[in-house]
Amino acid sequence: MPSSSQADKLLVQRVRSGEDEAWNELIARFEGRLLAFVESRTRQRARAEDVVQETFIGFLTSLPNYDPRRSLEGYLFSIAAHKLTDQLRREGRRPTLPLSPGTSSGASSWEPRAPDRPASSILRSGERRHLEENALAAAIGEQIVQWQRRGDWEKVRAAELLFVRGWANKDVAARLGISEQTVANHKFEFIAKLRSAVRKQGLPEAVFPELYADSAEAGREEGDR
Amino acid sequence: MNYRFAQAELEAYLDEALPAEDMARIEKALRDDPKLAAQLAALNARRDAGLHSLGAIWRRHRLSCPSREQLGSYLLGTLPRETADYVEFHVQMVGCRFCRANLADLEAQQAEADEVVQSRRRKYFQSSAGYLRRRRR
Repeated sequence: MPSSSQADKLLVQRVRSGEDEAWNELIARFEGRLLAFVESRTRQRARAEDVVQETFIGFLTSLPNYDPRRSLEGYLFSIAAHKLTDQLRREGRRPTLPLSPGTSSGASSWEPRAPDRPASSILRSGERRHLEENALAAAIGEQIVQWQRRGDWEKVRAAELLFVRGWANKDVAARLGISEQTVANHKFEFIAKLRSAVRKQGLPEAVFPELYADSAEAGREEGDR
Repeated sequence: MNYRFAQAELEAYLDEALPAEDMARIEKALRDDPKLAAQLAALNARRDAGLHSLGAIWRRHRLSCPSREQLGSYLLGTLPRETADYVEFHVQMVGCRFCRANLADLEAQQAEADEVVQSRRRKYFQSSAGYLRRRRR
């Protein structure tokens, strides 16, 4: 799991102090993967390079908001994703949705704040959401590492298809060559772990609807049978 | 809800995190189906209301992504079999866009001429260095 390494933290520190050499180093380290990420969508090298260029400028202008505990690569990818979305909208490829104002599409500290809510209320709700998200990310990450250490790759695969791809139990079962009941059991085990983390940390259940949906109950009942 | 796309898939679309071919599939559907646009807008509203989705958190924090070093070893064929099988699953079946980009970059590094890479990096540096200098003032 990529996280912000000590080397990345030092590099950002040097960039913050305005060192040309550090900035060159950061560009050299990350431009290739950002270019590949963007080009897979633009399918044109020149336009992809323009988006990556805007990404680096976006990184420098947003540097005061960057939290060095966050993965540097993840931060750069999130800026690139937003710059790419803007580019595709300008080209008419990505339709503009009737968005409600606020901070949708993830926590993007580099984006300007929405003008129609007081900054303090956005900050408060953003902080709370951040805390909830980080707590659940830690619980999911802990479970994944535990499964990997035990060699329970089937459980990692099942949870990833269920929750990251949103597949139904029967499709996961067919793809992994296991029974639907086994998938339901894996799902129940995962959800139970996360519910326990939510309880222990005193997080509000209502903001994690998937953990308390009927399907989770159904999984438990089937699993108990 | 639209029956063709899972909610987790639409969440990933909003984050520009699906594989390119799936992003294009949703964009195409959006052009013909106003219900899909409304569904995506509703997802955005849920996010604004502070609801979390497990898949979005998993993806955003890249909780099961192999490290770049592991991806390099995968390309060299030096990972243990179980880990290599998982990397294959994560990149191909889950379609992790970030790991795909890292793999494409690692492969390109072996193929691309050094001069081309250096010239591109110079261009990025020159276009952004002004912002770096402003930091020093």
